[in-house]
Amino acid sequence: MTHDLSYIALTALNLSCIYALLALGVSIVFASLGLVNMGHGFSFAAAGYGAWLVASHFSSNPWAVMGGGLLTGALSGMLICAIAFIPLHEKPNFVLRGMVATLAINLLGIQALQTAFGPSSRSLPALFGSGPWALGGWSVPADKAGAIACALLLMALTMAWMTRSRMGLQVRAMMQNPEGASLVGIGVRRTALLVMAVTGGLAGMAAVLLSQTYFVSPYAGTTPLVKGLIVALAGGLGSVPGAVAAAVLVGVIEALTSALLGGQYVLITQFLFIIAVLLLRPRGLGGLLDHSRE
Amino acid sequence: MSEHNRPAEGILQVRGLSAGYGPLTVLHDLDFAVTAGEKVALVGLNGHGKSTLFRAISGLTDWQRGSIRLAGREVGGSRSGGAGRMTHKIVRMGLAHMPQGDAIFPGLTVAQHLDCGAFTATAWRQRRRRRDELLAIFPPLQKLLASPVGSLSGGERRMVSLARGLMTPAKLYLVDEPSLGLAPKISRSIVDALLALELGTGAMVIAEQNLALLTGRVDRVLGMHAGQLKGSA
Repeated sequence: MTHDLSYIALTALNLSCIYALLALGVSIVFASLGLVNMGHGFSFAAAGYGAWLVASHFSSNPWAVMGGGLLTGALSGMLICAIAFIPLHEKPNFVLRGMVATLAINLLGIQALQTAFGPSSRSLPALFGSGPWALGGWSVPADKAGAIACALLLMALTMAWMTRSRMGLQVRAMMQNPEGASLVGIGVRRTALLVMAVTGGLAGMAAVLLSQTYFVSPYAGTTPLVKGLIVALAGGLGSVPGAVAAAVLVGVIEALTSALLGGQYVLITQFLFIIAVLLLRPRGLGGLLDHSRE
Repeated sequence: MSEHNRPAEGILQVRGLSAGYGPLTVLHDLDFAVTAGEKVALVGLNGHGKSTLFRAISGLTDWQRGSIRLAGREVGGSRSGGAGRMTHKIVRMGLAHMPQGDAIFPGLTVAQHLDCGAFTATAWRQRRRRRDELLAIFPPLQKLLASPVGSLSGGERRMVSLARGLMTPAKLYLVDEPSLGLAPKISRSIVDALLALELGTGAMVIAEQNLALLTGRVDRVLGMHAGQLKGSA
Protein backbone atom coordinates (compact mmCIF):
# COMPACT_ATOMS: atom_id res chain seq x y z
CA MET A 1 0.00 0.00 0.00
CA THR A 2 2.82 2.41 0.83
CA HIS A 3 4.46 1.61 -2.49
CA ASP A 4 1.20 2.35 -4.25
CA LEU A 5 0.86 5.67 -2.49
CA SER A 6 4.41 6.76 -3.25
CA TYR A 7 3.86 5.82 -6.90
CA ILE A 8 0.73 7.98 -7.02
CA ALA A 9 2.60 10.82 -5.36
CA LEU A 10 5.44 10.55 -7.84
CA THR A 11 3.12 10.50 -10.86
CA ALA A 12 1.22 13.43 -9.43
CA LEU A 13 4.40 15.39 -8.93
CA ASN A 14 5.66 14.59 -12.43
CA LEU A 15 2.41 15.70 -14.07
CA SER A 16 2.11 18.75 -11.81
CA CYS A 17 5.53 19.95 -12.84
CA ILE A 18 4.85 19.64 -16.54
CA TYR A 19 1.41 21.28 -16.30
CA ALA A 20 2.95 24.05 -14.25
CA LEU A 21 5.47 24.75 -17.03
CA LEU A 22 2.65 25.05 -19.56
CA ALA A 23 0.36 27.01 -17.27
CA LEU A 24 3.13 29.44 -16.38
CA GLY A 25 3.49 30.23 -20.07
CA VAL A 26 -0.25 30.71 -20.62
CA SER A 27 -0.52 32.78 -17.47
CA ILE A 28 2.45 35.07 -18.10
CA VAL A 29 1.40 35.70 -21.71
CA PHE A 30 -2.15 36.54 -20.69
CA ALA A 31 -1.10 38.86 -17.91
CA SER A 32 1.55 40.74 -19.87
CA LEU A 33 0.10 40.74 -23.38
CA GLY A 34 -3.63 40.18 -22.79
CA LEU A 35 -3.41 37.26 -25.19
CA VAL A 36 -5.01 33.87 -24.47
CA ASN A 37 -2.45 31.84 -26.35
CA MET A 38 -4.31 28.88 -27.84
CA GLY A 39 -1.23 28.30 -29.98
CA HIS A 40 0.67 27.04 -26.95
CA GLY A 41 -0.32 23.48 -27.91
CA PHE A 42 1.31 23.97 -31.30
CA SER A 43 4.52 25.22 -29.67
CA PHE A 44 4.40 22.11 -27.48
CA ALA A 45 3.90 19.69 -30.39
CA ALA A 46 6.42 21.45 -32.63
CA ALA A 47 9.03 21.35 -29.87
CA GLY A 48 8.47 17.60 -29.53
CA TYR A 49 9.33 17.21 -33.21
CA GLY A 50 12.24 19.63 -32.93
CA ALA A 51 13.69 17.49 -30.18
CA TRP A 52 12.98 14.35 -32.16
CA LEU A 53 14.75 15.75 -35.26
CA VAL A 54 17.80 16.60 -33.18
CA ALA A 55 17.77 13.16 -31.56
CA SER A 56 17.42 11.25 -34.82
CA HIS A 57 19.68 13.35 -37.07
CA PHE A 58 22.33 14.95 -34.91
CA SER A 59 22.90 13.52 -31.50
CA SER A 60 20.95 11.83 -28.77
CA ASN A 61 22.93 13.70 -26.15
CA PRO A 62 20.31 14.76 -23.57
CA TRP A 63 21.48 18.40 -23.63
CA ALA A 64 21.24 18.56 -27.42
CA VAL A 65 17.75 17.04 -27.40
CA MET A 66 16.54 19.42 -24.71
CA GLY A 67 18.15 22.33 -26.52
CA GLY A 68 16.35 21.31 -29.73
CA GLY A 69 13.00 21.28 -27.91
CA LEU A 70 13.66 24.55 -26.13
CA LEU A 71 14.76 26.33 -29.29
CA THR A 72 11.87 25.02 -31.41
CA GLY A 73 9.43 26.03 -28.70
CA ALA A 74 10.92 29.51 -28.45
CA LEU A 75 10.84 29.95 -32.23
CA SER A 76 7.19 28.83 -32.43
CA GLY A 77 6.38 31.29 -29.66
CA MET A 78 8.00 34.09 -31.65
CA LEU A 79 6.15 32.97 -34.79
CA ILE A 80 2.83 33.12 -32.93
CA CYS A 81 3.79 36.56 -31.65
CA ALA A 82 4.63 37.79 -35.15
CA ILE A 83 1.37 36.49 -36.64
CA ALA A 84 -1.18 36.88 -33.87
CA PHE A 85 0.10 39.58 -31.53
CA ILE A 86 2.03 42.25 -33.41
CA PRO A 87 -0.52 42.95 -36.18
CA LEU A 88 -3.56 42.59 -33.92
CA HIS A 89 -2.77 43.97 -30.49
CA GLU A 90 -3.94 47.51 -31.16
CA LYS A 91 -7.16 46.46 -32.84
CA PRO A 92 -10.41 46.68 -30.90
CA ASN A 93 -11.58 43.49 -29.24
CA PHE A 94 -8.06 42.10 -29.26
CA VAL A 95 -8.69 39.40 -26.64
CA LEU A 96 -11.21 37.66 -28.87
CA ARG A 97 -9.26 38.23 -32.08
CA GLY A 98 -6.07 37.00 -30.47
CA MET A 99 -7.81 33.88 -29.19
CA VAL A 100 -9.23 33.09 -32.64
CA ALA A 101 -5.93 33.82 -34.40
CA THR A 102 -3.89 31.65 -32.04
CA LEU A 103 -6.48 28.87 -32.24
CA ALA A 104 -6.15 29.02 -36.03
CA ILE A 105 -2.37 28.85 -35.73
CA ASN A 106 -2.77 25.87 -33.43
CA LEU A 107 -4.98 23.96 -35.89
CA LEU A 108 -2.94 24.89 -38.96
CA GLY A 109 0.31 24.10 -37.18
CA ILE A 110 -0.90 20.69 -36.06
CA GLN A 111 -2.03 19.90 -39.62
CA ALA A 112 1.34 21.07 -40.92
CA LEU A 113 3.14 18.80 -38.47
CA GLN A 114 0.94 15.90 -39.52
CA THR A 115 1.64 16.59 -43.21
CA ALA A 116 5.35 16.87 -42.60
CA PHE A 117 5.89 13.99 -40.22
CA GLY A 118 2.85 11.74 -40.69
CA PRO A 119 0.32 10.79 -38.03
CA SER A 120 2.39 8.09 -36.33
CA SER A 121 3.94 8.77 -32.94
CA ARG A 122 7.67 9.10 -32.35
CA SER A 123 9.57 8.44 -29.21
CA LEU A 124 12.48 10.40 -27.84
CA PRO A 125 15.50 8.69 -26.32
CA ALA A 126 15.55 8.33 -22.54
CA LEU A 127 17.25 11.50 -21.40
CA PHE A 128 17.85 10.71 -17.78
CA GLY A 129 19.38 7.25 -18.02
CA SER A 130 17.50 3.98 -17.65
CA GLY A 131 18.16 2.77 -14.14
CA PRO A 132 16.32 4.14 -11.13
CA TRP A 133 17.81 7.01 -9.16
CA ALA A 134 18.48 6.25 -5.54
CA LEU A 135 17.29 9.19 -3.49
CA GLY A 136 17.78 8.55 0.20
CA GLY A 137 16.08 5.22 0.87
CA TRP A 138 13.85 5.46 -2.22
CA SER A 139 14.54 4.27 -5.69
CA VAL A 140 12.81 6.59 -8.13
CA PRO A 141 12.37 5.80 -11.85
CA ALA A 142 14.87 7.90 -13.78
CA ASP A 143 12.41 9.38 -16.28
CA LYS A 144 10.17 10.79 -13.58
CA ALA A 145 12.95 11.93 -11.27
CA GLY A 146 14.75 13.69 -14.12
CA ALA A 147 11.59 15.34 -15.44
CA ILE A 148 10.65 16.58 -11.98
CA ALA A 149 14.11 17.91 -11.27
CA CYS A 150 14.31 19.68 -14.64
CA ALA A 151 10.84 21.18 -14.36
CA LEU A 152 11.47 22.44 -10.84
CA LEU A 153 14.74 23.98 -11.96
CA LEU A 154 13.05 25.67 -14.92
CA MET A 155 10.26 27.03 -12.75
CA ALA A 156 12.78 28.38 -10.28
CA LEU A 157 14.72 29.99 -13.14
CA THR A 158 11.54 31.52 -14.59
CA MET A 159 10.51 32.91 -11.22
CA ALA A 160 14.01 34.29 -10.67
CA TRP A 161 13.98 35.81 -14.15
CA MET A 162 10.61 37.44 -13.49
CA THR A 163 11.51 38.79 -10.07
CA ARG A 164 15.22 39.55 -10.26
CA SER A 165 16.28 40.43 -13.79
CA ARG A 166 15.86 43.75 -15.53
CA MET A 167 13.90 42.18 -18.39
CA GLY A 168 11.61 40.44 -15.91
CA LEU A 169 11.03 43.77 -14.21
CA GLN A 170 10.04 45.29 -17.55
CA VAL A 171 7.65 42.42 -18.26
CA ARG A 172 5.99 42.83 -14.87
CA ALA A 173 5.77 46.58 -15.34
CA MET A 174 3.98 46.01 -18.64
CA MET A 175 1.66 43.48 -16.99
CA GLN A 176 0.59 46.01 -14.39
CA ASN A 177 0.36 49.22 -16.38
CA PRO A 178 1.09 49.25 -20.12
CA GLU A 179 0.90 53.04 -20.34
CA GLY A 180 3.24 53.48 -17.39
CA ALA A 181 5.60 50.98 -19.01
CA SER A 182 5.68 52.93 -22.27
CA LEU A 183 6.47 56.08 -20.27
CA VAL A 184 9.63 54.43 -18.96
CA GLY A 185 10.74 53.45 -22.44
CA ILE A 186 9.48 49.86 -22.52
CA GLY A 187 8.34 48.89 -26.02
CA VAL A 188 5.39 46.53 -26.23
CA ARG A 189 6.52 44.67 -29.35
CA ARG A 190 10.03 43.88 -28.22
CA THR A 191 8.81 42.80 -24.81
CA ALA A 192 6.08 40.69 -26.43
CA LEU A 193 8.60 38.85 -28.62
CA LEU A 194 10.73 38.17 -25.57
CA VAL A 195 7.80 36.94 -23.47
CA MET A 196 6.55 34.70 -26.27
CA ALA A 197 10.04 33.27 -26.82
CA VAL A 198 10.50 32.50 -23.13
CA THR A 199 7.04 30.96 -22.68
CA GLY A 200 7.41 29.05 -25.96
CA GLY A 201 10.69 27.71 -24.65
CA LEU A 202 8.94 26.59 -21.46
CA ALA A 203 6.33 24.78 -23.57
CA GLY A 204 9.19 23.20 -25.52
CA MET A 205 10.83 21.93 -22.36
CA ALA A 206 7.46 20.65 -21.13
CA ALA A 207 7.15 18.71 -24.39
CA VAL A 208 10.58 17.15 -24.04
CA LEU A 209 9.92 16.23 -20.40
CA LEU A 210 6.46 14.80 -21.08
CA SER A 211 7.91 12.76 -23.96
CA GLN A 212 9.71 10.74 -21.29
CA THR A 213 6.25 9.42 -20.36
CA TYR A 214 4.17 9.82 -23.55
CA PHE A 215 4.98 9.75 -27.28
CA VAL A 216 5.56 12.73 -29.57
CA SER A 217 2.70 13.12 -32.08
CA PRO A 218 1.06 15.99 -33.97
CA TYR A 219 -1.85 15.99 -31.54
CA ALA A 220 0.38 15.67 -28.50
CA GLY A 221 -0.15 19.34 -27.64
CA THR A 222 -3.94 19.36 -27.45
CA THR A 223 -4.54 17.72 -24.08
CA PRO A 224 -1.60 19.48 -22.38
CA LEU A 225 -2.88 22.81 -23.80
CA VAL A 226 -6.30 22.18 -22.30
CA LYS A 227 -4.70 21.27 -18.99
CA GLY A 228 -2.36 24.24 -19.12
CA LEU A 229 -5.37 26.50 -19.67
CA ILE A 230 -7.24 24.83 -16.79
CA VAL A 231 -4.30 25.32 -14.49
CA ALA A 232 -3.70 28.91 -15.57
CA LEU A 233 -7.38 29.78 -15.08
CA ALA A 234 -7.66 28.00 -11.75
CA GLY A 235 -4.47 29.66 -10.59
CA GLY A 236 -5.73 33.12 -11.48
CA LEU A 237 -4.36 34.35 -14.82
CA GLY A 238 -1.12 36.21 -14.35
CA SER A 239 -0.28 34.84 -10.95
CA VAL A 240 2.89 32.75 -10.94
CA PRO A 241 2.44 31.25 -7.43
CA GLY A 242 -1.25 30.63 -8.20
CA ALA A 243 -0.34 28.72 -11.35
CA VAL A 244 2.14 26.58 -9.45
CA ALA A 245 -0.40 25.81 -6.69
CA ALA A 246 -3.11 24.98 -9.22
CA ALA A 247 -0.70 22.78 -11.17
CA VAL A 248 0.06 20.76 -8.05
CA LEU A 249 -3.66 20.30 -7.34
CA VAL A 250 -4.49 19.36 -10.93
CA GLY A 251 -1.57 16.91 -11.06
CA VAL A 252 -2.64 15.29 -7.78
CA ILE A 253 -6.22 15.01 -9.03
CA GLU A 254 -5.05 13.42 -12.28
CA ALA A 255 -2.83 10.88 -10.52
CA LEU A 256 -5.47 10.03 -7.89
CA THR A 257 -8.24 9.75 -10.47
CA SER A 258 -6.33 7.45 -12.77
CA ALA A 259 -5.17 5.28 -9.88
CA LEU A 260 -8.51 5.03 -8.09
CA LEU A 261 -11.18 5.47 -10.79
CA GLY A 262 -9.41 4.91 -14.12
CA GLY A 263 -7.81 7.14 -16.73
CA GLN A 264 -11.06 7.87 -18.60
CA TYR A 265 -12.34 9.96 -15.68
CA VAL A 266 -9.33 12.28 -15.53
CA LEU A 267 -10.72 15.15 -17.62
CA ILE A 268 -14.07 14.92 -15.82
CA THR A 269 -12.57 15.33 -12.36
CA GLN A 270 -10.23 18.07 -13.56
CA PHE A 271 -13.06 20.09 -15.06
CA LEU A 272 -15.16 19.55 -11.94
CA PHE A 273 -12.21 20.87 -9.97
CA ILE A 274 -11.83 24.02 -12.04
CA ILE A 275 -15.59 24.66 -12.00
CA ALA A 276 -15.49 24.38 -8.22
CA VAL A 277 -12.51 26.73 -7.98
CA LEU A 278 -14.06 29.33 -10.24
CA LEU A 279 -17.41 29.13 -8.42
CA LEU A 280 -15.73 29.73 -5.07
CA ARG A 281 -12.98 32.07 -6.22
CA PRO A 282 -13.83 33.64 -9.58
CA ARG A 283 -10.36 35.17 -9.85
CA GLY A 284 -8.65 31.85 -9.25
CA LEU A 285 -6.37 30.72 -6.49
CA GLY A 286 -3.90 33.50 -7.24
CA GLY A 287 -5.80 36.04 -5.19
CA LEU A 288 -5.03 34.02 -2.07
CA LEU A 289 -1.32 33.96 -2.67
CA ASP A 290 -0.39 36.91 -4.79
CA HIS A 291 -0.47 40.29 -3.15
CA SER A 292 0.90 41.98 -6.22
CA ARG A 293 -2.43 42.39 -7.98
CA GLU A 294 -4.88 44.89 -6.65
CA MET B 1 26.02 65.59 -19.31
CA SER B 2 26.68 65.95 -23.03
CA GLU B 3 25.64 69.28 -24.37
CA HIS B 4 24.35 69.97 -27.84
CA ASN B 5 23.74 73.63 -28.24
CA ARG B 6 21.06 74.42 -30.74
CA PRO B 7 20.57 78.13 -30.58
CA ALA B 8 18.20 78.06 -33.51
CA GLU B 9 15.75 75.65 -31.96
CA GLY B 10 14.67 75.04 -28.37
CA ILE B 11 13.95 71.84 -26.56
CA LEU B 12 10.39 71.68 -27.75
CA GLN B 13 8.79 73.26 -30.78
CA VAL B 14 5.08 72.65 -31.35
CA ARG B 15 3.42 74.11 -34.44
CA GLY B 16 -0.18 73.96 -35.56
CA LEU B 17 -1.00 71.10 -33.23
CA SER B 18 -4.52 69.74 -33.08
CA ALA B 19 -5.19 66.59 -31.12
CA GLY B 20 -7.95 64.67 -29.43
CA TYR B 21 -9.68 61.40 -28.81
CA GLY B 22 -11.96 59.77 -31.39
CA PRO B 23 -14.35 62.40 -32.77
CA LEU B 24 -13.41 64.88 -30.04
CA THR B 25 -10.93 67.66 -30.81
CA VAL B 26 -9.32 68.96 -27.62
CA LEU B 27 -6.38 71.00 -28.93
CA HIS B 28 -7.04 73.51 -31.69
CA ASP B 29 -4.14 74.56 -33.89
CA LEU B 30 -1.78 75.29 -31.02
CA ASP B 31 1.76 76.72 -31.08
CA PHE B 32 4.10 76.20 -28.16
CA ALA B 33 7.85 76.36 -27.62
CA VAL B 34 10.18 75.68 -24.71
CA THR B 35 13.87 76.56 -24.62
CA ALA B 36 16.68 74.94 -22.66
CA GLY B 37 16.80 75.60 -18.93
CA GLU B 38 13.26 76.98 -18.78
CA LYS B 39 10.64 76.16 -16.18
CA VAL B 40 7.18 76.87 -17.59
CA ALA B 41 3.85 76.74 -15.81
CA LEU B 42 0.77 75.75 -17.75
CA VAL B 43 -2.38 76.81 -15.95
CA GLY B 44 -6.00 76.37 -16.78
CA LEU B 45 -9.19 74.71 -15.70
CA ASN B 46 -9.96 71.03 -15.94
CA GLY B 47 -10.84 69.85 -19.41
CA HIS B 48 -9.14 72.65 -21.32
CA GLY B 49 -6.36 70.50 -22.75
CA LYS B 50 -3.32 70.67 -20.44
CA SER B 51 -3.08 66.93 -20.11
CA THR B 52 -3.97 66.41 -23.75
CA LEU B 53 -1.07 68.64 -24.78
CA PHE B 54 1.29 66.50 -22.68
CA ARG B 55 -0.24 63.30 -23.99
CA ALA B 56 0.04 64.50 -27.58
CA ILE B 57 3.74 65.21 -27.05
CA SER B 58 4.33 61.70 -25.69
CA GLY B 59 2.19 60.12 -28.40
CA LEU B 60 -0.63 58.98 -26.14
CA THR B 61 -3.55 60.73 -27.80
CA ASP B 62 -5.73 58.86 -30.27
CA TRP B 63 -4.81 61.24 -33.05
CA GLN B 64 -2.92 64.45 -33.64
CA ARG B 65 -2.10 66.73 -36.53
CA GLY B 66 0.70 69.25 -36.79
CA SER B 67 4.36 69.29 -35.90
CA ILE B 68 6.01 68.40 -32.57
CA ARG B 69 9.80 68.67 -32.54
CA LEU B 70 11.61 67.37 -29.48
CA ALA B 71 15.24 68.56 -29.39
CA GLY B 72 15.16 69.06 -33.14
CA ARG B 73 13.57 65.72 -34.05
CA GLU B 74 10.04 65.37 -35.33
CA VAL B 75 8.02 63.16 -32.99
CA GLY B 76 4.54 64.20 -34.04
CA GLY B 77 4.63 62.61 -37.49
CA SER B 78 1.62 60.80 -38.84
CA ARG B 79 0.59 58.03 -36.53
CA SER B 80 -0.71 54.85 -38.10
CA GLY B 81 -0.47 52.58 -35.11
CA GLY B 82 -2.75 54.27 -32.60
CA ALA B 83 -2.22 55.68 -29.15
CA GLY B 84 0.95 54.74 -27.32
CA ARG B 85 2.63 53.01 -30.26
CA MET B 86 5.59 55.41 -30.42
CA THR B 87 5.61 56.49 -26.78
CA HIS B 88 8.58 54.37 -25.67
CA LYS B 89 10.67 55.71 -28.55
CA ILE B 90 9.76 59.33 -27.81
CA VAL B 91 10.60 58.74 -24.15
CA ARG B 92 13.98 57.37 -25.17
CA MET B 93 14.65 60.53 -27.18
CA GLY B 94 14.66 62.45 -23.92
CA LEU B 95 11.14 62.92 -22.63
CA ALA B 96 10.09 62.40 -19.03
CA HIS B 97 6.32 62.56 -18.71
CA MET B 98 4.86 62.25 -15.22
CA PRO B 99 1.18 61.83 -16.03
CA GLN B 100 -1.96 62.51 -14.09
CA GLY B 101 -2.92 59.39 -12.18
CA ASP B 102 0.78 58.58 -11.78
CA ALA B 103 0.77 55.44 -14.03
CA ILE B 104 2.33 53.35 -11.29
CA PHE B 105 2.78 49.58 -11.23
CA PRO B 106 0.78 48.57 -8.13
CA GLY B 107 2.64 45.34 -7.39
CA LEU B 108 6.18 46.62 -7.83
CA THR B 109 8.06 48.14 -4.93
CA VAL B 110 9.32 51.70 -4.75
CA ALA B 111 12.87 50.49 -5.43
CA GLN B 112 11.68 48.56 -8.49
CA HIS B 113 9.86 51.65 -9.81
CA LEU B 114 13.05 53.61 -9.57
CA ASP B 115 14.96 50.83 -11.34
CA CYS B 116 12.31 50.87 -14.10
CA GLY B 117 12.85 54.58 -14.49
CA ALA B 118 16.55 54.05 -15.25
CA PHE B 119 15.96 52.81 -18.77
CA THR B 120 19.13 53.85 -20.58
CA ALA B 121 22.39 51.94 -20.17
CA THR B 122 24.07 54.89 -18.45
CA ALA B 123 21.16 55.54 -16.13
CA TRP B 124 21.03 51.85 -15.24
CA ARG B 125 24.70 51.83 -14.25
CA GLN B 126 24.27 54.95 -12.15
CA ARG B 127 20.89 54.01 -10.69
CA ARG B 128 22.08 53.55 -7.10
CA ARG B 129 23.64 57.00 -6.95
CA ARG B 130 20.67 58.62 -8.66
CA ARG B 131 18.33 56.82 -6.29
CA ASP B 132 20.14 58.24 -3.30
CA GLU B 133 19.90 61.74 -4.78
CA LEU B 134 16.17 61.34 -5.33
CA LEU B 135 15.62 59.94 -1.84
CA ALA B 136 17.20 63.13 -0.54
CA ILE B 137 14.62 65.10 -2.55
CA PHE B 138 11.70 62.90 -1.50
CA PRO B 139 12.72 61.74 2.01
CA PRO B 140 9.44 59.91 2.82
CA LEU B 141 10.33 57.29 0.18
CA GLN B 142 13.43 56.21 2.08
CA LYS B 143 11.48 54.00 4.48
CA LEU B 144 9.17 52.68 1.74
CA LEU B 145 11.74 51.28 -0.70
CA ALA B 146 10.56 47.69 -0.21
CA SER B 147 6.81 48.46 -0.11
CA PRO B 148 4.54 47.73 -3.08
CA VAL B 149 3.45 51.08 -4.50
CA GLY B 150 -0.18 49.88 -4.63
CA SER B 151 -0.23 50.09 -0.83
CA LEU B 152 1.02 53.70 -0.59
CA SER B 153 -0.95 56.90 -0.05
CA GLY B 154 -1.70 59.37 -2.83
CA GLY B 155 1.15 61.70 -1.90
CA GLU B 156 3.63 58.85 -1.70
CA ARG B 157 2.50 57.53 -5.07
CA ARG B 158 2.97 60.97 -6.59
CA MET B 159 6.51 61.07 -5.22
CA VAL B 160 7.22 57.62 -6.68
CA SER B 161 5.87 58.66 -10.05
CA LEU B 162 7.95 61.85 -10.07
CA ALA B 163 11.08 60.10 -8.83
CA ARG B 164 10.68 57.39 -11.45
CA GLY B 165 10.47 60.07 -14.13
CA LEU B 166 13.61 61.72 -12.79
CA MET B 167 15.78 58.59 -12.77
CA THR B 168 16.98 59.09 -16.34
CA PRO B 169 18.15 62.59 -17.28
CA ALA B 170 15.72 63.98 -19.86
CA LYS B 171 15.64 66.96 -22.17
CA LEU B 172 12.02 67.76 -21.44
CA TYR B 173 10.12 67.07 -18.23
CA LEU B 174 6.33 67.22 -18.41
CA VAL B 175 4.76 67.19 -14.96
CA ASP B 176 0.99 66.88 -14.96
CA GLU B 177 -0.78 68.40 -11.93
CA PRO B 178 1.71 67.55 -9.18
CA SER B 179 -0.65 68.90 -6.50
CA LEU B 180 -3.83 67.17 -7.66
CA GLY B 181 -5.69 65.43 -4.87
CA LEU B 182 -3.01 66.07 -2.26
CA ALA B 183 -3.17 67.89 1.06
CA PRO B 184 -1.87 71.50 0.73
CA LYS B 185 1.21 70.85 2.85
CA ILE B 186 2.24 67.79 0.83
CA SER B 187 1.57 69.43 -2.52
CA ARG B 188 3.68 72.41 -1.49
CA SER B 189 6.61 70.20 -0.52
CA ILE B 190 6.34 68.26 -3.80
CA VAL B 191 6.24 71.44 -5.90
CA ASP B 192 9.17 72.83 -3.88
CA ALA B 193 11.17 69.70 -4.65
CA LEU B 194 10.36 69.96 -8.36
CA LEU B 195 11.26 73.63 -8.62
CA ALA B 196 14.53 73.03 -6.79
CA LEU B 197 15.70 70.48 -9.37
CA GLU B 198 18.81 71.20 -11.42
CA LEU B 199 17.69 70.76 -15.01
CA GLY B 200 21.01 71.35 -16.74
CA THR B 201 20.19 71.82 -20.40
CA GLY B 202 16.74 70.31 -19.90
CA ALA B 203 13.45 72.12 -19.52
CA MET B 204 10.34 71.53 -17.46
CA VAL B 205 6.66 72.22 -18.05
CA ILE B 206 4.35 71.92 -15.05
CA ALA B 207 0.61 71.79 -15.58
CA GLU B 208 -1.16 73.09 -12.50
CA GLN B 209 -4.55 74.41 -11.45
CA ASN B 210 -3.27 75.91 -8.25
CA LEU B 211 -1.54 78.97 -9.68
CA ALA B 212 -0.53 80.19 -6.22
CA LEU B 213 1.92 77.32 -5.87
CA LEU B 214 3.90 78.45 -8.90
CA THR B 215 3.60 82.21 -9.35
CA GLY B 216 6.90 84.01 -9.19
CA ARG B 217 8.83 80.77 -9.11
CA VAL B 218 8.79 79.80 -12.78
CA ASP B 219 10.18 81.53 -15.86
CA ARG B 220 6.86 81.81 -17.68
CA VAL B 221 3.19 81.22 -17.02
CA LEU B 222 0.94 80.18 -19.87
CA GLY B 223 -2.81 79.95 -19.66
CA MET B 224 -4.70 77.24 -21.42
CA HIS B 225 -8.26 77.84 -22.43
CA ALA B 226 -10.49 75.76 -24.71
CA GLY B 227 -7.57 73.97 -26.31
CA GLN B 228 -5.53 77.08 -27.01
CA LEU B 229 -2.71 78.86 -25.21
CA LYS B 230 -2.86 82.40 -23.87
CA GLY B 231 0.08 84.34 -22.52
CA SER B 232 3.67 84.88 -23.55
CA ALA B 233 3.93 81.90 -25.86
